[in-house]
Amino acid sequence: MTVNARYDKSNLFFESVVGSLFSPVQNLFSSTTTSISNAFDHYLFLVDTSRENDRLLLEVNRLSRENNKLLERKKFLERSKKLVEHFDGNGRPFIVAKVIGYDATQWSKMIFINRGTDHRVEKNLTVMTDAGIVGHVIHSSPKSSKVLLITDSRSAIDSLFQKTRESGVTVGTGEKTCQMKFVPILAEVSVGDKVISSGLGGVFPKGLMIGTVFDVVKQNQELFQEITLVPSADLSHLEEVVVILSSKEEE
Amino acid sequence: MIYFILGLVLFLLFSVQITLLGMFSVAGITPDLILIVAVYCGIHSKNNGGIWLAVLIGFFQDCLSGGLLGVNSLSKGLAGLFFCALKDKIFVEGAVPISFFIFVTSLVDGMIYLLAMTSILGGQAKGGFFFSSVILFGIYNAVIAPFLFYMFDKGRKWINLRFSSQALETV
Repeated sequence: MTVNARYDKSNLFFESVVGSLFSPVQNLFSSTTTSISNAFDHYLFLVDTSRENDRLLLEVNRLSRENNKLLERKKFLERSKKLVEHFDGNGRPFIVAKVIGYDATQWSKMIFINRGTDHRVEKNLTVMTDAGIVGHVIHSSPKSSKVLLITDSRSAIDSLFQKTRESGVTVGTGEKTCQMKFVPILAEVSVGDKVISSGLGGVFPKGLMIGTVFDVVKQNQELFQEITLVPSADLSHLEEVVVILSSKEEE
Repeated sequence: MIYFILGLVLFLLFSVQITLLGMFSVAGITPDLILIVAVYCGIHSKNNGGIWLAVLIGFFQDCLSGGLLGVNSLSKGLAGLFFCALKDKIFVEGAVPISFFIFVTSLVDGMIYLLAMTSILGGQAKGGFFFSSVILFGIYNAVIAPFLFYMFDKGRKWINLRFSSQALETV
């Protein structure tokens, strides 16, 4: 102690020797006690571990399910927000509806939505997404409605080319595309032209996007052109739609 | 109890038809489970029960469809009637006969819809597309029909075993 205090040496020779001498013993002792302790912890005291494992597995499953639910909810809210932002401020009341089913037959193009007369959804109201027209309501019950898609062969919308203002009638083909009929052979139409609703007919308000010209066939002996349109709205992956309600003035 | 189970099975089939089946569409074509049920009822019914059941499920299908009310009642009723009348004269056992008859019935079903749509509803139909769709529709139905028939047979046997005191008249 005196030597240490006097010469201010941090490590004395004897201290190092003793340390080196005992360190293997210390290590051995320490590792042995750790091993014994581990053996007790991991083998002898494992009575509840299996149960705990089961409980944790259940918890993981529950959390995974909850996470999936929340992710779905988040995506739903994002899509709804997009729709609401698009239609908000247009001056017309609307309601967001979920697509809950499809036509029970192969031949008709129709969807079911989860809004009905209880939510002011009635026959002949326009159904849209932010991309464009989806169809119109053909039947409404209190809690759900049937929507005839624009691709159904019975659907017909009086329409206009956005650029040239040439008019025609967009009809469904039963396929994934529509046709624009009664467009005169001399009208200037090119692939990529946008088609909008004309507002005539009383079902679809004016200026709503219907689709884009995909193909134009002009035959000299015909009076009208054969124009194929691709609907703006993706009708094969509909999840949420917007129903444009009648405004109070119209009622 | 038997009718309750039957109703439950039909409810389940309709639910699948209008919700999940869209996920299994091939080139936009989905099979028609109701058509297969109508044929099954026609074949396995006693007396004329199958016809009425086929008409009834056709009517439900009409209600769940955007088409003209009655088209499916007619087509499914005709399928039920055909198989009810000819069940003793034709052999509908095994995968090949089942697939063949379902294929033919699907073609007839499609033709009835085409006629109704063009004549009564005034719809537009592109002939080539429609016929190719009908054929694909028939093939799709024919492929899944043996499996469904097998399941229905199993279900029918189970019901008959479980409720042997109450004879199952319709299926």
